[in-house]
Parts: sequence; structure tokens; C-alpha cells
Amino acid sequence: MATVPETDIGMFERGTRYLQLADDWRSATGRGVSIAIVDSGIDAEHPDLAGKVAASVEARVENKRVVFDPSNSGDSAGHGTACAGIIAKISPDAQLFSVKVLGAAGLGDGQAFLAGLEYCIKERYRVINLSLGTTKPQFFSPLHDLLDRAYQAGCIVVAAANNLPHPSFPSVFSSSLISVIKSGETDPLNFGFHFGEVIELTAPGVNVRTPWLDKGYRTLTGNSFACPHIVGIIARLMEKHPEMTPFQVKSALYAIARDNQYRNA
Amino acid sequence: MRTPAGIQKCLGSVNDEWQSGSRGGSGSNFSRAMVENPQKLRKNLKMTESDGYDLPERLKRLVETIDIANIFTEPLTRSLATLLEISAAEMNSDEASVLIRDGDEGDLRFLSAIGKVAEQLINIKVPAGKGIAGFVMSSGQPMAVADVGEETSFYSEVDRTTGYSTQMILATPLSHNGEVIGVLEYINRRGDPPFEPFTPAEMDRAAAFAMPIASLVNAYESAKLFRDLGEKILADDSAGDLGPVREWLGELRDSAEHREMMDLAMLIREVAGRGEAERILCKEMLESIVRYSDSKSEISFLTL
Repeated sequence: MATVPETDIGMFERGTRYLQLADDWRSATGRGVSIAIVDSGIDAEHPDLAGKVAASVEARVENKRVVFDPSNSGDSAGHGTACAGIIAKISPDAQLFSVKVLGAAGLGDGQAFLAGLEYCIKERYRVINLSLGTTKPQFFSPLHDLLDRAYQAGCIVVAAANNLPHPSFPSVFSSSLISVIKSGETDPLNFGFHFGEVIELTAPGVNVRTPWLDKGYRTLTGNSFACPHIVGIIARLMEKHPEMTPFQVKSALYAIARDNQYRNA
Repeated sequence: MRTPAGIQKCLGSVNDEWQSGSRGGSGSNFSRAMVENPQKLRKNLKMTESDGYDLPERLKRLVETIDIANIFTEPLTRSLATLLEISAAEMNSDEASVLIRDGDEGDLRFLSAIGKVAEQLINIKVPAGKGIAGFVMSSGQPMAVADVGEETSFYSEVDRTTGYSTQMILATPLSHNGEVIGVLEYINRRGDPPFEPFTPAEMDRAAAFAMPIASLVNAYESAKLFRDLGEKILADDSAGDLGPVREWLGELRDSAEHREMMDLAMLIREVAGRGEAERILCKEMLESIVRYSDSKSEISFLTL
């Protein structure tokens, strides 16, 4: 996929060029792509993540507002480190930015991650990993607005679906973000796309071996771990095609998943 | 000292049954017990002021007091334990627990547990964001860990306290009205290690069990509030600190959901008050929204 120059050719012809996606992303490493991980922090000292975390910030409440300060408190739960480890394995040269919103005292869950998402959009991180969600109806509307802002700013938001038998936000918003559910697949490049499903992407999320606290590793299952697999793939795509819009990224994922489906059949 | 009538005054909308146990058959067993037992409790609480009780009598009264104090919550915690037993068997596990909020800072505590170290777990606290449970609580995301490990994790601290060896864990959030109110955990499998990891299908099953368990936890939290209220009111030195109750009722009234419902009700009343044609139109529009919503809800989230 190349940048399409302004020419006098018809819209239709120009449009179709977007779908001519070369295979060069398969050998990419995410170089030059900024990825925010809105989570419990990242242990930047973990051997798998050394030198990969460009900056870390942490949410704090000040006069009833959430502000972000530079953070050196690492990861409070292990989850953010696990997600970062998955991304780094697929796109080892991507720049990771830790936006710690979990584990801070006095922060409501929805409030914290809304503020984290807003911070990422302001910072214009190209890809945002949201392995969290909320089922609180009052967050439906503000989240929708934020995701539209992300979409217009060219930030690609990737969210984990909830395993619960009711919808969680933002993963059910299909137009303005990419939502992911786990599969038993182990090859990160062999992801699936199910157009028409509430959650469109499937990626490895069962018994994933990944970094954890104390320089350790854990074998984890959950949609939380499917989400960073897709983030890693997007970083590869964006290294090769930095001009891609969220819409194009989704189209590219769809096209690659169709190839995967064809190959698997 | 406050009386049950005083409680009713404070709470405003409590049914008369609260104080009129003399209604004979009309009141439920529960409400009758509530009337009879606070009197016992009041009597028992006074015992510390009196001299001359012998030890057996004091102990007997103490046991009665504890029973009364638990009258609201005990049936719920018993049901919780039963549900944990049933669901754990489904998960081929013997160890399960429910953790609930402890204070406003995101801390958790074990409310109910089954298994070898169940009794030791009860009331152990989990600091905000710590461990798998802390993460699941704050993120709302279920997860399973196949190798909890031996390092300096939260679980190794709990294991040191209980002498148990946590190897594998499945944790899923307990949600009520869209809010995460606790965490449901299953630990290890039956038999000896190495254990087969929890499967995605079992995660779905745990999420299904989490729904009735969350309803019980919510009922428990409400019942506990009333239990604490009862204790305070019946204690001579209560001095009527009803702040937490007012706060709870205030939260109910201030919730976004409640406000939205009130706005909607006012809007409907306003439209309906404008005339017959408006009333009919409003009704038809609302009915068509319900039909649309029904057809939309056929897209089931159960497939997740």
C-alpha cells in the first residue's frame, strides 16, 4: 500500500489502489511506530522489554481531575507487562508508551481508562492498546465521542472484547475501533476477521506465554492477550505504510485475514 | 436509644412490617424475625453494662447476638458458598472464592470461599490493583493464569499465610448493573499437579456462574448495610450516625441511570400533558422503539 498521489485519475481507480497491499509488512518490526498501552503500567526492566519502553506516565487525581505524571512505579499487576511483551515479540522495534491507569487509588475504573484514552489521543500515539473495558452504561456516550476523536486524529484504537455474556464498551463499537476476541490459534500472523460479528477480529489468546512481573513469565488466557497480538501486526503494517488511516488499517486486516482463511482452508 | 420505628423514620420508605410484627400472619417470617431479634440484640448488647452475669450465660448471650447480627447476611453467604460448590465442581476444581470491595480505594477482601483453606481466606485483604483479582476488579477483564508461579507475587504471600499452593487461577469479574462489584476465582484442579489449564469454554462457564453470584453479592452488600444500621441503632451509644446509609441512598438517587429515568419520565409526562394526539403519538413511538430494540437484541452477545 503506497501513498496515493493526487492525480486526475477517477476516484474509483484511485480507491482500488489502496487495496493493493504488498507482503513487506510480514518482515517489518514496527520501527518508528508509537504504541500506547493503557493498562497497569509496564515493567521496563524486564529482559524482553529492555530499551523498548520510550516513556511511562501514571494517572493521578488532582482537584477531581485526572492528570498524568511521569512514572517510575513499573507495573502494579503484571497485566500491562504481559501485553507489552506480546507486542514486543511481534514488533520488537516499536516504541512502547506506558499509560498507567489501573492500580491508582481513588480512581474509578471507567473514569481512569477514559482519561488514559484521552491522553493517548492528545499525544497522537499511532496505535492504542486497550485491553480493558467497562460495562457501565454512563460511559457509553463519552467513550463513543473519544473514539470518534481518535478516529479523526488517525489513532488506531484496538480493544479487547469482554468474555462476559453482555456487551462491554468500547469493544462493541464497531466503526471507530478494532475489537478483538481470543482464539486457540498460536501463530500471531494467522488471525481472523469475521465481518458482521459484534467483535470482528480473532487472535491468539489461549495459554499465551509472555513476560510478567519480577522478570518472570506467565501462561495466560483472555481476550486481553488477543488484543496486543493485533496491535503488534498493526505496528508492522504502519512501519511500511505510515500514512494509513484507521479505516485503511481495518481494510488491510480484513484482506490479510481473508488470505489466512484461504490458506487455512 | 433508637427503635425500629426510628429506623423506619430514617429510611422513609421501609414497609410497615418492619415494626408491626403483631400483624400476625401478614408479615413474612423474615420481617417477624427482624422485629423479634433486635429486641434480643438490644438486651444482649446491654449485658456489658450489667454486673453479675456468669460466664456461660454471657457466652450464650454473645452467641445469640452474633446470630442476630448475621440474620440478614447469613442466608446470602450460605447461598454463595453453595453456588461456589456447584460451580467449582463444574470447573473440576475444589477451590473457589468470592472477593468483594473493601472501602472506596479499590481494595478487595475475601467474602466467601470453599476448599481446604477457605476459613483462613475469609477477610484476607487484597490491596488495590494487586494480584490477578485486583487486576480483574479494576479492568473488568476476565483472565486465566496457567502458572501462577513461585515468585514474589501476591498469591505467594497468601499461600504463605494459608499453607496452600496456588498453581493455576481463573478470575472473572462480578458485575451488577454494569458495575464491577467483586471477583470470582477458581484455583487449581481436583487431584494432583500438573493441572490442565482452564479452557476458554470454562472461562465462559465461569462468566455464566458469575451472574447469579454477582446478584447474591449485591444482595449481601445491601443486607450488610441494613445489618450494620440495625447494630448501630440498637447499640446504646449509636448516637444515630446514619451517614453511610444516607450516602448509599444518595448514591442511588444520584446515579446516572436514576437521573436518566427521571428525565425520561418527566419528558413523557410533559408530552402526554399536551393533548390526546401527542399522547397517542408518544405511546406509538415508544412502542416502536421497544419493537426495534427487541429485534436488535436478537444479535446475541452470548456468542462472545
